[in-house]
Amino acid sequence: MDVDTLMEPMDLKVSELLKEVQVDYSPALTELVDDTVSAIKEAINQIPEGIEVTVDEAPGFVKDIGADKVEFKFKKPKSVEIGGSYSMKCIAKPDINVDLFIQLPKECFHEKDYLNYRYHAKRFLYLCILKKFLKSSSLVHKVEWSSFHNEARKPVLLVYPARKVVEFPGLFVRVIPTAKFLFNVAKLDMKRNNIRALNQEGNTPLPTPRYNSSMLEDMFLEDNTEFLKKTFLGWRELREALILLKVWAQQRSSIYAHDCLNEFLIAVILSYLATYEKVNNSMKPLQIFRVTMDFIASSKSWSQGLYFWQQREVKVSKEERLLYKETFPVVICDSYAHLNLAFRMKSNGFLELQDEAALALKCLEKSGDVAFEDIFMTKIDFSSKFDYCIRLNLKGNSKVCASGFCLDDECWRLYEQKVHNILSQGLSDRAKFIRVIWRNFHSDCDMENGLSTLDTEPLLIGISVSSLEKAFRVVDIGPNADNKEEALKFRKFWGEKAELRRFRDGKIAESTVWESEQWAKHLILKIIEYVLLQHLSLSKTNILQVVDQLDFSLLHGVEDPMSFSASLLAAFELLSKRLRCIEDIPLKVSSVQPLDPAFRFTSVFPPRPHPLASEKGHVPKLRKLISSCIQPLEVMIQLEGSGNWPMDEVAIEKTKSAFLLKIGESDIVKRVPFVDKKLFVRGQHSSMINGLQGIYQMYGPVVRLAKRWVASHLFSDCLVEEAVELLVAHLFVKPLPFTAPCSRIAGFLRFLRLLADYDWTFSPLVVDINNDLTPIDKKEIYDNFTPSRKGHEENAQNISPSMFLATSYDKASEAWTRFAPNSLELKRLVAYARSSANLLTRLVLEDQTGPLKWECLFRTPLSNYDAVILLHAGRLPYPQRLLFPSNSNQGRLVVHGNASKAFQPFMLPGDLRGNSEELKHKLMVNFDPLMSYVADLQKEFNTFKLWYDSLGGDAIGLTWETKKRGRDEAGEGEDPIKVLKGVGEVGKGFVRSVYFLKAPRLMK
Amino acid sequence: MGNLKEKLEEEKKKKKKSEKAKKTNAELFQKKVMLKKEEKQNENIKTTGKKKRRREKENNVNADKVEGEKNKNKPRKKKRKGEEKNNALVGKSVQQDGYEEQNGKSKKPNRKKKEHHTLKKGETIPEKIEEAVEDGAYYISSGEDCSKGMRKWLTEYRQSRPGLKVLQQWIDQFITAHEEKLEQERNEREARVAEDGWTVVVHHKGRKKTTDSQSGITVGSVAPAVAESQLTKKKHKEIGPDFYRVQKREAQRNEILAIQSKFEQDRKRIQQLRAAGKFQPY
Repeated sequence: MDVDTLMEPMDLKVSELLKEVQVDYSPALTELVDDTVSAIKEAINQIPEGIEVTVDEAPGFVKDIGADKVEFKFKKPKSVEIGGSYSMKCIAKPDINVDLFIQLPKECFHEKDYLNYRYHAKRFLYLCILKKFLKSSSLVHKVEWSSFHNEARKPVLLVYPARKVVEFPGLFVRVIPTAKFLFNVAKLDMKRNNIRALNQEGNTPLPTPRYNSSMLEDMFLEDNTEFLKKTFLGWRELREALILLKVWAQQRSSIYAHDCLNEFLIAVILSYLATYEKVNNSMKPLQIFRVTMDFIASSKSWSQGLYFWQQREVKVSKEERLLYKETFPVVICDSYAHLNLAFRMKSNGFLELQDEAALALKCLEKSGDVAFEDIFMTKIDFSSKFDYCIRLNLKGNSKVCASGFCLDDECWRLYEQKVHNILSQGLSDRAKFIRVIWRNFHSDCDMENGLSTLDTEPLLIGISVSSLEKAFRVVDIGPNADNKEEALKFRKFWGEKAELRRFRDGKIAESTVWESEQWAKHLILKIIEYVLLQHLSLSKTNILQVVDQLDFSLLHGVEDPMSFSASLLAAFELLSKRLRCIEDIPLKVSSVQPLDPAFRFTSVFPPRPHPLASEKGHVPKLRKLISSCIQPLEVMIQLEGSGNWPMDEVAIEKTKSAFLLKIGESDIVKRVPFVDKKLFVRGQHSSMINGLQGIYQMYGPVVRLAKRWVASHLFSDCLVEEAVELLVAHLFVKPLPFTAPCSRIAGFLRFLRLLADYDWTFSPLVVDINNDLTPIDKKEIYDNFTPSRKGHEENAQNISPSMFLATSYDKASEAWTRFAPNSLELKRLVAYARSSANLLTRLVLEDQTGPLKWECLFRTPLSNYDAVILLHAGRLPYPQRLLFPSNSNQGRLVVHGNASKAFQPFMLPGDLRGNSEELKHKLMVNFDPLMSYVADLQKEFNTFKLWYDSLGGDAIGLTWETKKRGRDEAGEGEDPIKVLKGVGEVGKGFVRSVYFLKAPRLMK
Repeated sequence: MGNLKEKLEEEKKKKKKSEKAKKTNAELFQKKVMLKKEEKQNENIKTTGKKKRRREKENNVNADKVEGEKNKNKPRKKKRKGEEKNNALVGKSVQQDGYEEQNGKSKKPNRKKKEHHTLKKGETIPEKIEEAVEDGAYYISSGEDCSKGMRKWLTEYRQSRPGLKVLQQWIDQFITAHEEKLEQERNEREARVAEDGWTVVVHHKGRKKTTDSQSGITVGSVAPAVAESQLTKKKHKEIGPDFYRVQKREAQRNEILAIQSKFEQDRKRIQQLRAAGKFQPY
């Protein structure tokens, strides 16, 4: 392709994508399809004309939809024709299937069969006969029931050919009956009632618009497909745009659903734009895509409804339009103006669709080709899109179908609506979007026996929070007490939760009050559970909310150490004030800046006040175990400027220490082992993250989960805490194609996916926290990045840093990821993130997962190392942080050691005697045997790499470093067992056991 | 190690047991049973003296004789162990050879540590475990040794915190030494220069001379920051980058080249992704 034709940065990728997903109509495919279709025709021909079809074919189904007269004599279909996207040449992988329209013969139906579900029952019985004969065909592998857009009263048959072609796995033919000319269209008008059972009351009969639409759809299916075909067949760009739109929709499971968008409706919308000349022949597919998104997101036409014209005029009167608008939330009337093609669309689905389209437009606004990944390649499923996901297990719940399966609408759709209404009333403005989707069909549905098994799948609810301030609001104020009518309604909805309150402004109103622990922030969970229990007859166990399942990893016992943060900040304020007030030092302290993550709420375990560290100096009574280790928090001090500093580096350090000592006479002592540049970068990072944390309340909790995950999979050495903070920050400052996460699980999942899916080899991750990077800055970053990937051509592992994290204070990615992770470590990290992300997605969306599964996200398999060192958990400085005591059942035990008695992580009762000064001496600041052990090992050995958890794991993984041939000949011969003994020796008193799993691989 | 009492008690127990064992030496059948017991008890014992070990060894040797030649490895191993234990500190590398040979690669026996064992094969296993435990016990008994492990780290920790006074002393000493060193260096330098017959020009305090007294030309140095800012100011007066048509054309060409290279890069990348099966939106 020529460069000139591809000036738009995304065009190349888009054209490549089209190549990837388009299906070319090769002889192999057409042959397969034709063979299958003729096999179906063959099977139909074998059905003897005129056999009696009765209820006995499917008594359950007929009873459940409530049809009365259903007997008919079988006649062959009037026509069998291929339709759908296959006929329009618009198939997008991976869904390769062919629609086959089977026109039902008029002879099988009576004039009045549009009444009381007779049509639906006969349609189904007709299919039952087909199924019987198809099953006996040798060319057919299997025949299954499915539904037409999740509509249970309109099942279709899926026919899988016996012959398999490798290029088209899972290809099937959908047998869809159509009802052309069967009924008088006027009888199926929206205002008419066609289900007599619905008007027993004696009042004016209720109209049945959805039931009528369901039949009209079948009547005009062929015509509408023909119309679409005409638009698409001669227009390659439009077809390609349709495929792009399909790819876009396929990635978004929340809009590609029965009550929102489907392939057919996308094609309809596109052809609407084509008819009204909003798109034209000179446009490229991507331009058409953009126009379509813009149309969906912001066109005013939606409020009136879309009407196709015929010979440049629309034959729908104003009154009819009004009626359509009243009956359906979204109206797309076909060119015959009898049918709203979007009659299944619900308003919440449509709002969601508009929002997604708006987000896609936002992505397209971004410069360069980043948008491509966001729009077409990123999976946006329920679990990552919504802040809260809830599953309702309604299997066998009799309330769902209490008044029959099929009324005007089907009971499952009505139930969806009911749940949606309850939640939107309960959550009011706390929620931005509430999506309720209940997919009823599964592949082995046994439709003949009725519809009662369609409730096996859980109902899925997704909730996006509008803003955290609203979400965590404690009091909901209802109507004034004077407004009796409203107040009564309020009381009816909220039950005993409603209470009359007098507010500060003197108002007396109904209200509800919700309390939640300050740091847990799961207030929404309580509301949802309350309203669902109040209004649906459900037991608590059937409501599965994905909210707090991962909190266990952040707790100390039962409380979240985050709850001490207020006192921590107060202590810091006091300290910095005192530091700045010190008079008797040569240079005054000019500023005090916190460096430790605990000050910016991103530490997994911020320290809790130590009982012995109080200023009063009294010895507390022994209530709980008192830790003997104290975790220091780093603070940066800046002194007044002076020209008298020595030039020599060592001398600078010493002078600094002298200053600290002087300061320490009044307060604290600390050694500063850092060079100034590092200190500067840390200061910058700290203040930036602190600012970000102030904007996004959920940032801190997500970082904490992410850090805990990194550590518990023994990656503490590979990915430093600051790097994790930046990765998570990226999710918040550049959330597209999502919006910034408002719950910890959604945020955590997106973190895992970022780690797993980002193209680390070829792209730098630019984290623009304050949104202040200029194009020049960005160019500088790319200029720094490019040389770091030069070596990749020769050797894929020869890139450093393998994870390029650029920020405004560090444009060359030198601060955090310069040495680690290296490319091998990153590979492992990515693999772990991917499997954790997949597990988490499954946990959110699927049932049948025991409580153990959530823990698996933080329980690392010990079999993936060459050797495993287990430590004495009782000798870790903070044993309460250990998530799971490790046990290795792999490999063989080579070393076994006892715990040293010289160190205890807790104060013994005997230690507590004596005055507080002595006690304070017994406390150990920043003593961490794990880090000392690791340091010693790294000093003594260079034949292996260590994987450990600095947050409190009791296992260390060990992998042999593969050596280059020729070098270190002496080292190669070393006996691994001997090495491991040495390893145990170094950790005497700390190592519990060492297991040997794999010998080093020698590269020869 | 404050558990002398424990040690003593354990030793007493052991003596009793070994005495018992001796008594039962006479009867072959009974002895077997007793040995089993003893092995179990040995598991619990973590501190052992040299003397006892020898005694144990003798016992084991006897037992082995009785048991026949089923376990050839065992006596050899035991012997070696006894010898090596005499070398005090070795400890860790002890007995592993035998352990390896026997234990093979199965992990299950390890896990059965404290379970009952009825199989003959199983009889050897608790002993191995016992050794492993003793192996650990060895660290405890050498607790005075501060060269490795937990005690070393504790010592290091304490040494790194000598207290404020000592720290101040160290720093004072360093600073004094450092200053002396600097002073000395300067003196030496001056002395060296003086030897060459040149006079040292001593820096005078006061206003810096920036103009030559005779010509009136500015001499002294200019601050680099000032110089740079002046330089950039000058640059601004130069012709803009798109003044001449040639420049514009060149810029355009560069841009196209950049786009071209990016295009090629993208294409390569997509090929790679496709080869890896990652260029699929599903």
